[in-house]
Amino acid sequence: MKPKVAFFDFAGCEGDQLQIANLEEDILTLLGQVEVVSFREVMKEHSDNYDIAFIEGSCTRLQDEDRLKQIRKNAKIVVAIGSCATIGGINSLRNYKEIDDVKKAVYGENARLFDTYTARPIDAVIPVDAYVHGCPMTKEEFLSVVKSLLMGKKPEIPNYPVCVECKKNENVCAFERGQYCVGTVTRAGCNSCCVNEGTICWGCRGLIDNPNENSEKEVLMKYGLSIDDAINKFKLYFGWQERRK
Amino acid sequence: MRIITKENFTDFINALIDDDSLNVIGVKSKGEKFAFDPLNSADELRLDYDVTLLPPKKYFFPQRETLVTYNIGKSFSARESPDPNQTVIVGVHPYDIVALLHMDEIFSETKSDPYYFEKRKSSVIIGVNMQSMSKWCFAPYMGADTIEYGYDLMLTDLGNRYAIAIGSQKGEQLLDKYAKGLTNALARDIQMVGQKKREVAAMCKQKLDFSPDLIPEMLSNFYGESAFWEKHSEKCLACGSCVLVCPTCYCFDVKDNPDLTLQQGERVRTWDGCLLEDFAKIASGENFRATRPTRYRHRYFKKGKYLFDRFGFISCVGCGRCGSNCLPDIANPVSLLNDMYREAQQSGLEITAPTAPDIKIQTGTDIDYVPRLATVIKKQPMTSMETLFEIKLDDDSELGHNPGQFVEVSVFGVGEAPISISSPPTKKGSFELCVRRLGNVTTKMHALKEGDKVGIRGPFGHGFDTEQLKGKDLLFVAGGLGLAPLRSLFNYVLDNRKDYGKVTLLYGCKEPRELLFSDELVALSRRDDVEFKPTVDRCPESEIWSANVGVITTLIPQIEFNPESVYAIICGPPIMYKFVIADLKKRSVPDDHILMSLERRMKCGVGKCGHCQINHIYVCKDGPVFNYAKIKGVPEAL
Repeated sequence: MKPKVAFFDFAGCEGDQLQIANLEEDILTLLGQVEVVSFREVMKEHSDNYDIAFIEGSCTRLQDEDRLKQIRKNAKIVVAIGSCATIGGINSLRNYKEIDDVKKAVYGENARLFDTYTARPIDAVIPVDAYVHGCPMTKEEFLSVVKSLLMGKKPEIPNYPVCVECKKNENVCAFERGQYCVGTVTRAGCNSCCVNEGTICWGCRGLIDNPNENSEKEVLMKYGLSIDDAINKFKLYFGWQERRK
Repeated sequence: MRIITKENFTDFINALIDDDSLNVIGVKSKGEKFAFDPLNSADELRLDYDVTLLPPKKYFFPQRETLVTYNIGKSFSARESPDPNQTVIVGVHPYDIVALLHMDEIFSETKSDPYYFEKRKSSVIIGVNMQSMSKWCFAPYMGADTIEYGYDLMLTDLGNRYAIAIGSQKGEQLLDKYAKGLTNALARDIQMVGQKKREVAAMCKQKLDFSPDLIPEMLSNFYGESAFWEKHSEKCLACGSCVLVCPTCYCFDVKDNPDLTLQQGERVRTWDGCLLEDFAKIASGENFRATRPTRYRHRYFKKGKYLFDRFGFISCVGCGRCGSNCLPDIANPVSLLNDMYREAQQSGLEITAPTAPDIKIQTGTDIDYVPRLATVIKKQPMTSMETLFEIKLDDDSELGHNPGQFVEVSVFGVGEAPISISSPPTKKGSFELCVRRLGNVTTKMHALKEGDKVGIRGPFGHGFDTEQLKGKDLLFVAGGLGLAPLRSLFNYVLDNRKDYGKVTLLYGCKEPRELLFSDELVALSRRDDVEFKPTVDRCPESEIWSANVGVITTLIPQIEFNPESVYAIICGPPIMYKFVIADLKKRSVPDDHILMSLERRMKCGVGKCGHCQINHIYVCKDGPVFNYAKIKGVPEAL
């Protein structure tokens, strides 16, 4: 029997689910392997009977925790998809500010009507079995993780930095192009897609297990960033991971 | 030597490009840098380049390469035959040619890598003498700024013309077929080429303060200087850039990639690097080079010592790519080696150049990356973690192993894992593997049913010498899963009991429930021709245990043996070896009477991928069975 899968979204832009909707011909092959029972972005049916739950977005409200726990209870396998779900994503940027200031900045007069707390990745609330990192996640990696799960295999997510893929792709280093990159400490698996296109690694896949952050900050400053800008480079995506240290 | 005008040279390159049966590669600009890339026109060629981002090895040992394809549950096959076209690479600097010659030796030692050599054989290397040099380059110190062989053609820019040295028949044929207006070089031209080559060294901006001949010996003296390595690696990002751009690095990883239909898949090898955190990590989580300083040190030792000991050359050609690609600027070998030399001098250390080891590289048959199909004929759970698999090769052949050897087991779509063989060679028709559920492959193996198909490569490595052990007393010391490889020899000895002297088995586990082969152990305790002593580290209240409680070494004082005639045979978790050996030494067992089987991350099984390397030793090829006398001085081994 084909495993039943469901998609859920929390605080995020739904860009990762869009990647799935955009799988083109691969989506047909994929539908040969799984039965989708819930996917708000592309269908109106919904069922709570599923084996694999894909969760996008970070948890930003206390009341979301109950919904997450219910998903965990229903699903055999929980997969976090996209940076917001896997590492807290750019939502965690706001954790550097007082929550009341954040609310006022976003909702102004009506701030009191909205309830929110420290933004966090899914695994800060429930155990997560697999991760598809990225902002947005790549279709290739999503499919690779799905294949692993269908084969009964733990997905292999690299524990080396983006530099590895950049070197294999023979890119001119972003620093050599006069740009500032955090690929040295960011988990690979994206095939250095941003640097391949002439831009930099922003860090959307989160830190590797043991990053040498001090050295990377020194490099950023050696190449001309101010100390504040170097620190800011680490805030964009690494906020939650940095806070936990 | 021939001479060609620049105009005619342009025509020559364009003629090569116009021939669809050739892949013409040349150095092109890439931003401010240079790279080897397919040429669309001779105008793109930049023979005045300083260094390319990646070395030309990518055409022989690509970043990503399919080794094997398979139909899941059905068959393995060699990947489709390679591109039949000849590849012409234009503009290779001498240091990169030297590097390719190193790679040739590495990929042909003992077993030859067919995928590398099929591409090497179908290529033409057109070298060029350096016209500019990267500021990181120190090739002149490594004797790699010029070269007299290893190319098919070698160009030297003489202003309005190129001198072309012919290095092979293949090169000459290429010229004859595609080049026009060639003339023979005059004495004046030959003199000019000599002059240009002598000028190359003067472009070098790096300065090595001593002869590179001293490197192996100097490194040996600095192995234990942990403060030195910590200081130099403090800023290491462990990003692997230094090794990924290296023209002589050859380590690789192998991964399985099923397609989305889950009907078929491919096994792919990709570049790997010893600086990366998980490089030497095994499925149990043990990491043999877990810290940055040890990995940083390993890179220098691999280049300057281990490969020297193994092949007789220092595996660095001085291209300077590592230095130029290191953002924190800690990878330039010249800086580190000069520092080391300075410290050595300050401490009055006298370093002499070792005589190059007398090495004859044995080349053998091709590596077979394609597994043989086999069937799981019996599956017998032993503990909550370990299951015994009985496996039969589908072509009805015998595995033909020695006790102590291992196989690489393939699970379709998941990958390959090294597993030691648990059954003795005396068992015919099938063989047994005792497998602990740890990583992806072994977890998936546990889910297999009787009748399911797996792939087998091997047997690999060096097992126990059953002939040499004849007539000797044997003391087996097994810890945990270490019993699995030792059982092959143990049962072989029991099957040939009269050939061996006194036989003792000491076997320890954490808890009684972890005991492997418990039925066999019970039978063993009834035999009077074998002494068997089990122990557990602890016994929980819920279990019953009447034998010894304590770590394995607590059994050693309880047994009698004659150190002169006994051979100790050890296998267990990494931590166990040094304690067992220390206790055996206390009882005067000679070093060469201690044999052990070591565990490392054995990925390719044939001494190529680099993952199982301990110093100059490849565990998969030189081991996994080692004699303590030979390995005791080897750092990182025990």
